[in-house]
Amino acid sequence: MQQRPQTVTDIVELSVSAWFYRNRTIAGFDNPARSLYVSIREIVENSLDACEDAGVVPAIEVTLRRVGGSELSDRLTQGPQTFCLTVHDNGTGIPRTAIPKLIGKMLAGTKFTLRQTRGTFGLGGSLALLYGQVTTQRPVEIVTGLKGDPFNTRLVMRLDIETNTPIILEETQIPKDPSSHGTSITFYLEGDWLRSKRKIVEYFAQTSIIVPYASIIFTSPDGTRFEYPRVIDSMPRRPREMKPHPRGIDVETLKNMIANTRSKSIAAFMTSSFQRVGKSTATNFLRAAGIDSTRDPHSLSDKELLKMMQVLASFSGFISPSSESLSPAGVDLLGAGIGRLEPEFTAVTQRAPNVHEGHPFVVETAVAFGGALQPGLRLYRFANRIPLLYDEGSDVSTRVIRELNLRNYGLQQTDPLAFLVHICSTRVPYKTVGKEYIGDVDVVRREIQLGLQWCLRKIGEDVRRHHRVQRRQKRENKLQRYYTFMAHVLSDATGREITTRHLFGE
Amino acid sequence: MSSGETVRSHRDDVLSLIGTVLDTLAETIEDGAYPEIGYYGSSKKNVNYVPGRGYVPIDERPSFLDGRKVESAKTIASLIYGLTRFKEHLEQGMSMSLRDFYYMHKVKHVQEVLKIGDQSETNRLINLCERILRVGGDSMPREEFGVVSSPKGTFYGDVTLTDLSGKRINCSEAGEYGWFISSRPFDVSIHDINIDAAILVEKEAMARNLIELGIPEELRVGVGSLFGQPGRNMRAWIRRLADEEVPILVLVDMSPWSLRIFSTIKANSIELANIRGLATPEAHLLGLTTDDFWSSDGMLAEIKHSLEKMSKSDIKCAQQNRNIPAISQDRILRRENERLLREGRKGELEAFKAFGLPLDELRKTYIRYIRSKAKRLGVKLL
Repeated sequence: MQQRPQTVTDIVELSVSAWFYRNRTIAGFDNPARSLYVSIREIVENSLDACEDAGVVPAIEVTLRRVGGSELSDRLTQGPQTFCLTVHDNGTGIPRTAIPKLIGKMLAGTKFTLRQTRGTFGLGGSLALLYGQVTTQRPVEIVTGLKGDPFNTRLVMRLDIETNTPIILEETQIPKDPSSHGTSITFYLEGDWLRSKRKIVEYFAQTSIIVPYASIIFTSPDGTRFEYPRVIDSMPRRPREMKPHPRGIDVETLKNMIANTRSKSIAAFMTSSFQRVGKSTATNFLRAAGIDSTRDPHSLSDKELLKMMQVLASFSGFISPSSESLSPAGVDLLGAGIGRLEPEFTAVTQRAPNVHEGHPFVVETAVAFGGALQPGLRLYRFANRIPLLYDEGSDVSTRVIRELNLRNYGLQQTDPLAFLVHICSTRVPYKTVGKEYIGDVDVVRREIQLGLQWCLRKIGEDVRRHHRVQRRQKRENKLQRYYTFMAHVLSDATGREITTRHLFGE
Repeated sequence: MSSGETVRSHRDDVLSLIGTVLDTLAETIEDGAYPEIGYYGSSKKNVNYVPGRGYVPIDERPSFLDGRKVESAKTIASLIYGLTRFKEHLEQGMSMSLRDFYYMHKVKHVQEVLKIGDQSETNRLINLCERILRVGGDSMPREEFGVVSSPKGTFYGDVTLTDLSGKRINCSEAGEYGWFISSRPFDVSIHDINIDAAILVEKEAMARNLIELGIPEELRVGVGSLFGQPGRNMRAWIRRLADEEVPILVLVDMSPWSLRIFSTIKANSIELANIRGLATPEAHLLGLTTDDFWSSDGMLAEIKHSLEKMSKSDIKCAQQNRNIPAISQDRILRRENERLLREGRKGELEAFKAFGLPLDELRKTYIRYIRSKAKRLGVKLL
């Protein structure tokens, strides 16, 4: 929007969706390869969220199909192609009336609350559909049905970019089994499979690790079927929606909260609008801020609000934010997830909740060793149950691992080791808008470091024990070999049968 | 008893000893027990230097091969295999070299189990066998169980003997260098000795010169050639001669290395202290001595300009000599070594050629040198 308002006729009002489309690179839609990957990711994550919200273990089926065009194998000359993407989930389904808004309208969704969700804005999914429509000019098809309904609703619709509203082109009802439920979205988009294949396949592999309770099937344009059957039936505890913590707030939000409150006194406002603020905390805080606790919150001036903000940020009397709004995977789930790598040993730990800028976060770490793992170190990073596939070198976890002294644990760089770091937070401290790596925040780095060190200690013990057993076995084998040889030589020399029967048994 | 019979009965003794050891090990394994073998290692703790006797084993700290340990089990397996090889060779009247023994471990099924890397491992094994097979409290030299390696040295002079060939030989009629010293001088029978002393020369060229000039006949002496550091057989032969009361005179370069050569003849070495009959404490250092060059009445003072500067390694050798008991605790050798270090020069047997004399004069010089030096050592020559 760097349009210069030279004349009145130059002024253009952009709709929300038009704005987002023009700035789609923020969300990762910058080239056909990346766009294909991001589209799949956004839709799949919406599906996973839908299932988890419904409390059902997810079963997701993704099919990516090449549409028309010849299949060129030459990487250099091959440009973007058209693909048809279908994502089917077994979530609650969407009520007929909510479909246009939920799917077809930007900035309308269920994620604008203070609890851990995969995305932040509920925007990526809509943007993916929008991207598909713009690049292929084909409409979106949705088939959805609720539990108990005797039919599925099938809608074919187009998004109107300028007005940010959906236009329904077709609507039919398809009879179904009343007990089934779920949503299936099919749309066309431009993409570059050859250049995004590796990331997309990796995305499904890593998602299967962090969401081991989901059954995921992905059929690629090459016809390869990647199947990740469910390995555990329990799901993580659902995050609870929480009131904001006083330390994570800004002036605008504060003003907004005050405008909407029905409390008559500022003290009552404090206790009712923020989490973990009781009467005594509120009293102490207001005394520190120099505000009379009986004041009507609506009467505070901008200047006073600013002062209040500053004290909010520096006041040390607040209890840490509750981690109820978080949904860490938990040791069992993570253990099952990392089990997908088929290692010989695993160690998983969950750190106690901690706080960064008023937002609670929980770090979970796991280390796996041996088995099917390749020699060398590998890092799997997850944030709010999303795999992070880009910018690994800049991530705080990479930094922590680089500084670990593996030899202290009886391990070395060339050992088959996999590290897993999962951070969940109501606001993950991403470093960039691309949301691909976690910044080097002291408190976060510390948690990751302590978590990985704990895991390494345990792995180190396992590996040592394993080596001990191996050594003992090797020693036993060698002894037997030597004595068998001796018995053989002695039999020849003495002319009578000498056996090691009494030494080693039959 | 003829020499051949001695050898045969000796061989039977060794065979029965090896047989006993193998039987004991076989029974131990049959009974389901891990064998354990004790021996005295070659550490300095097990060896004393006694002036007048040389290095003497004191056998204070036994070492053990514990068959429960993997490494020891491997050694015992090698030992058993080695003993069976010795047994077979002895039964056939065959000898083997250290290299032969090494190659016997390259037999496929043996190599697969014992995985011998290089010859030093099998050499150590032979050394171990010497220490384990003991007769009357003494280690058994490897020659006794048929392992003979790099015999060297010759001896010329009027000595009549019978060696393992069974032939009667006079050492002055056996060839241009005389008799090639037997690999097993213990088993040689000496019939007649017509020499007043034996001169053992470090370098073969000097020894040959002495023989060519007819000096053995003239002085009634034997001349032996050590070919550098003497082999075990040579040392044993010198011991045999000394046992026959032949005075032993050693003629070597004037250098720290030659002091070592002489000290090995005189006192044996720490590594082989367990092998008896290798030291000849009666041996005298005939020359070349520092006094020959540097004292005013020295017989070689005239040619001291021929001395060469000691190299770095020569100096290092002399410094290490200070830690060798047989040199540092021997009055004469210590003096020689310190003087070499002080002067920083060394002399060689070839120095006689620096007189530039006609051969007849050279012959007289040799005779004069040997006779007068021997006289000073209390050995009278013709």
